[in-house]
Amino acid sequence: MATTDQEVTELIKREYEHGFVTDIEAHSFEPGLNEDVIARLSAIKKEPEFMLEWRLNAYRRWLEMEEPDWAHLGYDKIDYNSISYYSAPKRKEDMPQSLDEVDPELLRTYEKLGIPLHEREMLAGVAVDAVFDSVSVATTFKEPLAKAGVIFCSISEAIRDYPELVQKYLGSVVPHTDNFFAGLNSAVFSDGTFVYVPKGVRCPMELSTYFRINAANTGQFERTLIIADEGSHVSYLEGCTAPMRDENQLHAAVVELIALDDAEIKYSTVQNWYPGDEHGKGGIFNFVTKRGACMGKNSKISWTQVETGSAVTWKYPSCILRGENSVGEFYSVALTHNYQQADTGTKMIHLGKNTSSTIISKGISAGRSSNVYRGLVKFGPRAEGARNFTECDSLLIGDRCGAHTFPYIESLNKSAVVEHEATTSKVSDEQMFLCRQRGIDPERAVSMIVNGFCKEVFKELPMEFAVEAGKLLEVSLEGSVG
Amino acid sequence: MKPAPTLSTAFLQPAGQALPAPLLELRKQRGAALVDMPLPTRKTENWKYSSKRLKLTEEMAISLPTTGKAGSALAVPGYKVVFTNGVMIPEASEYPDLDDISIQRFGELSEAQARDLAERLDSTLDMKTVQFAGLNTARFEDGLVIRLNPNAVLDQPLFIINEVTADASGSAFPRIYVDAGANSQITLVEEYISSGQEPVMVNTVTEFTLAEGANVTNIRLCMDGENVQHIGATGVRQQRNSRFESHCMGFGGPLRRHDLQVRLEEQGAECKLNGVVVTQGTQHYDNHTTIEHIAANCDSEETYRNIATDKSHAVFNGRIHIHQDAQKSNANMNNKNLLLTTGAEIDTKPELEIYADDVKCAHGATIGQLDEESLFYLVSRGIPRREANVLLTMAFINELVVQIPVEAVRETVHTRLNQFFDQAFQEV
Repeated sequence: MATTDQEVTELIKREYEHGFVTDIEAHSFEPGLNEDVIARLSAIKKEPEFMLEWRLNAYRRWLEMEEPDWAHLGYDKIDYNSISYYSAPKRKEDMPQSLDEVDPELLRTYEKLGIPLHEREMLAGVAVDAVFDSVSVATTFKEPLAKAGVIFCSISEAIRDYPELVQKYLGSVVPHTDNFFAGLNSAVFSDGTFVYVPKGVRCPMELSTYFRINAANTGQFERTLIIADEGSHVSYLEGCTAPMRDENQLHAAVVELIALDDAEIKYSTVQNWYPGDEHGKGGIFNFVTKRGACMGKNSKISWTQVETGSAVTWKYPSCILRGENSVGEFYSVALTHNYQQADTGTKMIHLGKNTSSTIISKGISAGRSSNVYRGLVKFGPRAEGARNFTECDSLLIGDRCGAHTFPYIESLNKSAVVEHEATTSKVSDEQMFLCRQRGIDPERAVSMIVNGFCKEVFKELPMEFAVEAGKLLEVSLEGSVG
Repeated sequence: MKPAPTLSTAFLQPAGQALPAPLLELRKQRGAALVDMPLPTRKTENWKYSSKRLKLTEEMAISLPTTGKAGSALAVPGYKVVFTNGVMIPEASEYPDLDDISIQRFGELSEAQARDLAERLDSTLDMKTVQFAGLNTARFEDGLVIRLNPNAVLDQPLFIINEVTADASGSAFPRIYVDAGANSQITLVEEYISSGQEPVMVNTVTEFTLAEGANVTNIRLCMDGENVQHIGATGVRQQRNSRFESHCMGFGGPLRRHDLQVRLEEQGAECKLNGVVVTQGTQHYDNHTTIEHIAANCDSEETYRNIATDKSHAVFNGRIHIHQDAQKSNANMNNKNLLLTTGAEIDTKPELEIYADDVKCAHGATIGQLDEESLFYLVSRGIPRREANVLLTMAFINELVVQIPVEAVRETVHTRLNQFFDQAFQEV
């Protein structure tokens, strides 16, 4: 590129700003995984018997599974026995009753992250459930939500308080046999978020969870279960950060969404786990199974993700469109820089009549990174009149990165229509010239162009997140010009 | 996990020893390397959709007998070489004896020529992804080497008729190697046909190397019968400013598999790959193409169309791989599919793998049915519905059929397509 300016290259060194470690006493398990560890975990969480059985089942099955290697990713083998499967901020007594009882050090961490955990500092209308290492530490806005009938709590609480809902839906979309990482998660998940929106209720505010890995050598295995009952509506946001560490840490989450008749779930993620340094050292391994089932007719599930962090991302938020006229959407921006690797995309499984789905994926690779879109669009024989539109565009910045597209399209129904298109390009010299000619510095010019490239996806994000995502992109891109 | 089934050793016993020593040696080596070759399963990525169609019985392991005579007489408007069951029939073949173009059977090669060829065989293909090409190398009994000296131009298309006579179970292993010298030109038509009703396998490999400025057109007509499992591979390596054009016309069968791999190794190389597949009944057709942009400033253009009806299954997998040094590459891939009935299946996977930033790459894929509005338009103007269906379906693929540069082949394709339409669209 023509804009190889010295000052630009210097800007590369902008560091990961959430890389601090919070010094709080944590209660952690020794590294290692066996049935004992799972039993202890279950006991600490005071789980009912069925949960322990469920976990052990998953664990036994997991032992027989093999780690998948089909993704376009290269990383050192993970030693699952060197990971601690439970780490919780130590508390004197039982669960805190209000925010005042939460460890102030912890609250400061969230303040540093800019999370509106404290109600006074809240942005209007965002209820937050914060998950620190493995456990949920605080949930805000419980009362107004309860008034509306919405259950918004940690999954551990849900297992204790709403066992019938959990038993009915947990694992119904992502069974423990689904894949290696989902199996592991089912065995050892320590906490996560549970949302239930009752019939006909429109959730009065955006729900949000912040995940943070703090302790070293721990993995984070959270589990999210969202159930939208008939005619309900919920919008859910998720954000993630982690400290900077030299070794890789594992994050293997499972998210299950269930939308019944006429229900709508909107799930947005801004993933900003520590991506490793500029030499590819450290960073989070992010192996996530996210899937939503549109069980009912006219239901809708929409995934929006902005993926800028993690050393390795393996993530395919999917929709099973079972109900008639159900709608699935996937909007994604995945940005990789330095030595980051992302293999991400979606699956749209059309089973019901007149189901439709839209996939918009924008991949941006810079530095020496690799960015993969991998997707499946499938029409079952009963998917009369089903429709899919897919667009995946890649933008390359620099000549040492890779951008790949692996779309699988399978159709068994003649009236189903699928369109797929993909393009790959770079930030063009003409665009850069135009911006620079008008006095815009190269760094900003690239950021503007990339923002424009991603606009289609950003407009799907709730407002606060859209701003954050735009900023995040800018930060992650810094230094990629030249 | 239970171990994947492996290729029966019976398949590794080549017949026919009338080959120069270096080729016999090569055959032996490849055979040894294939011992315990795992057969593809549903988990094998590039056989994901086709593995269940692969049915290799012990009876099919033996080579089909070399009959020594051509099964059916074929008049072609050009030069022709006839192979029956993988062995050439000189009496049925007619081609000129030219100074600058040599057309030889493997058996006619001198020791030195054969040694040279043995080094070149398989070099155009990524043997890890086309294991069955390895099986061809382990089993071929005959083959054809076509060498064009620099600036040589073959004035008429060369037809290579590959026939199998399936009066008993067995396999055939046709093999072609084309070495096109600088600025040479050739149009090669490969026709695959069969007679007889017993289950057989045809395993073919055709390879092309194009020197600077060479211009090669390859037409591949796959018209084997309902008893033939056809597994073919075509490998192409292109040097500076060479041009390769391929037209693959495929009619379904119990298993049809074609791997087409093109390597653009020097600047200015260009390839154009067209493909048409129609399947009906319970037929199956699987096309896998790979275009490797290795050098800068190369162009590739790929267009494949599939039509599946009844309970048939068409698969397309196209891969464009742009290497790090292949700046200013231009690559376009387009795959459109017509699913005429529910019950049929179409799977497509247009892949892009890109490691260079200054490139223009795009791919598009669609699956759908005939457009209702277009149908209505035609019907409202008094065209019977069936005919309207045929017209629109024909229009869908004709764009590619008319590009076939040999008229006789176009006619053959049209005849076959009309048969297909007759069966696919009943009078309503």
